Amino acid sequence: MFELLGAGLAGMFHVKYLVPLFLGTLIGVVGGALPGITITMTVIVVLPFTFGLEPLQGLACMIGVYVGGETGGLITSCLLGIPGKPSAVATTFDGFPMARKGEPGRALWLGIWASILGGLLGAIVLVAATGPLAQLALKFGPWEYFALFVLALSMVAGLVESSLVKGLLSGALGCVVTVLGNDPVMGQPRLTLGISWLEGGIPFLPVLIGVFAFSQIMSDLERFSENTSAALNAAINLTVSHAKVLAEILTRPFLLLWSTFIGLVIGVLPAIGGSAANMLAYDQAKKFSQRPEKFGSGIPEGIIASEASNNANVAGSLVTIMAFGIPGDAVTAVMLGALTIHGIQSGPLFISQNAPLAYGMFAAYILAHPLVLILLFFGVRWVLRIVIVPKSILFPVVLVLCVVGAYALGNSMATVYVLLVFGLLGYLMVKFGFPLAPFILGVILGDQIEINLVRSLMTDSDLWLFVTRPISALLLGASVASIALSIWQHRRTQKKSAVASDAADF
Amino acid sequence: MKLSKDGWGGLAVLAASLFLFALTLGLKDNPLVPIGPGYYPRIVLAITAAFALALVVMDLMAKHPPAPAGEKLNYLLVVEMFAVFGLYIGALPYLGFRISTLLYVAASNALLDLPRSVRGWARVALVALITTVVVYYVFERYLTVLMPRGRWTNF
Repeated sequence: MFELLGAGLAGMFHVKYLVPLFLGTLIGVVGGALPGITITMTVIVVLPFTFGLEPLQGLACMIGVYVGGETGGLITSCLLGIPGKPSAVATTFDGFPMARKGEPGRALWLGIWASILGGLLGAIVLVAATGPLAQLALKFGPWEYFALFVLALSMVAGLVESSLVKGLLSGALGCVVTVLGNDPVMGQPRLTLGISWLEGGIPFLPVLIGVFAFSQIMSDLERFSENTSAALNAAINLTVSHAKVLAEILTRPFLLLWSTFIGLVIGVLPAIGGSAANMLAYDQAKKFSQRPEKFGSGIPEGIIASEASNNANVAGSLVTIMAFGIPGDAVTAVMLGALTIHGIQSGPLFISQNAPLAYGMFAAYILAHPLVLILLFFGVRWVLRIVIVPKSILFPVVLVLCVVGAYALGNSMATVYVLLVFGLLGYLMVKFGFPLAPFILGVILGDQIEINLVRSLMTDSDLWLFVTRPISALLLGASVASIALSIWQHRRTQKKSAVASDAADF
Repeated sequence: MKLSKDGWGGLAVLAASLFLFALTLGLKDNPLVPIGPGYYPRIVLAITAAFALALVVMDLMAKHPPAPAGEKLNYLLVVEMFAVFGLYIGALPYLGFRISTLLYVAASNALLDLPRSVRGWARVALVALITTVVVYYVFERYLTVLMPRGRWTNF
């Protein structure tokens, strides 16, 4: 393992990999810092540029975007009070007050160093756990895969805060998308509705690009005003003693480790993402703190917890996609698409069949952290100037790149039509309060669920095997338990709010 | 009993899933495999319909408190942006990538931030031109993605 990792790291220093990684990291930092532009959108914009590259070059670039984006988001959170991305919201709670108290450099670098340390601690788990987990998954038959994918979908649907039914319905709708087109076993056309471009099925990348890019851009346009750009104080002093900042973090080892652990666990869970990780880590830091009342006033604990967790979250997401082929979030879903375009099958066999690529990805993840550090050390002011680019310019350019990305998938207008249709659908889903994460996971896993269901029934038509094979039974049991747990949590929240409203009435 | 957004959303999904379910009944089984092409779609669509029905029923049974007065949202701009984007997609096969992208970027940029001077219009034109040229050259020349040519313009 260490030999392969060493080779991966040495290979990553080659110009042909280092340049895409560096550019990806740079774009990620800028995209993460731009309020209103998420990392998902940044990676979507970068995706078409990777089509002509080698798989590892493209993946290194995307990993750079992911790591850079997670760190870049804290710049505007701390200095302008505007989270650059959802996973930096909790950073704003203490980062901005600290900056306003006259310590912008301390706020910024506490966040950057916590991100780097959290990310690198996550790398240890990424490298150590992915292989054994993939080995475990190799023991799976179609029954277990079916159960695993069902568990992933039910967990994501259950974690939706607003409504369990909407989460489940959203996941089911994603699966419906995969049944349009050809049946994956015999290639027989089905439910094409007479539309010629549906005959080949609906590729998931234009769906993902459309759903995420449009839902976000159009939702932003509802509140659009060109006068909302944050003012940049050019005279802001970012000078800081890095030794002191590092000491501030390292003297809180439990906070750093616990926040990293939370980020990793949330990352491993499918399709949840860093926005949940940073809020949960912040909440946990507050609960464990001896001075919880100080949270929100500009204390280092709030910044460290939030930033360590959201970078560790990246490692967790990579574990899930590399060991099981299940995307940990939307960014890794795009990576999954990139792998598919290059003809690489993700899943448990990924590491054993593509060891140089897998260890190259680990190396890219590890090296992206020092690159972020160097970039921000020299260019944080430059990034601050870029983030005030008007959205009236940014949004049309992003949408053009979405069109190019969709078109380049098959040099065909069909995928562009898919982009438009699902862009509209994604926006409507947001307006009707349907969560997007279960939908996208349904689109990605729907095919696999069908293939494994058919395989299992073709091997043995006994349906009881799903619950008599131990791993499959365990996974399906966990799936039922996760739904039961979310029903219980939802009811408890409802009861609490009813009691609170009764108390308020008196 | 009045339906809220949840109920209407549920009804739309219910109708769509029942329609597709009915279509699966016409799918013929293949003698070579024990499970026909309609087996899995029927399961998925039945589950979807069941969840959609549950959403409608829950919405009918729920008490709907009066909606709080929120901020006014600019839906007109969203509709206009979708329309301009739809026109762009529609124009791509006829005008080609370069002309339609130039027009799209200029139109949407002007729509989002209407220029009030000659300088403003020059900025719109410049942004559209730079975007089109850079995207075209990067993808067509360096990443070998053959961008669409126009049927009408051959450009």
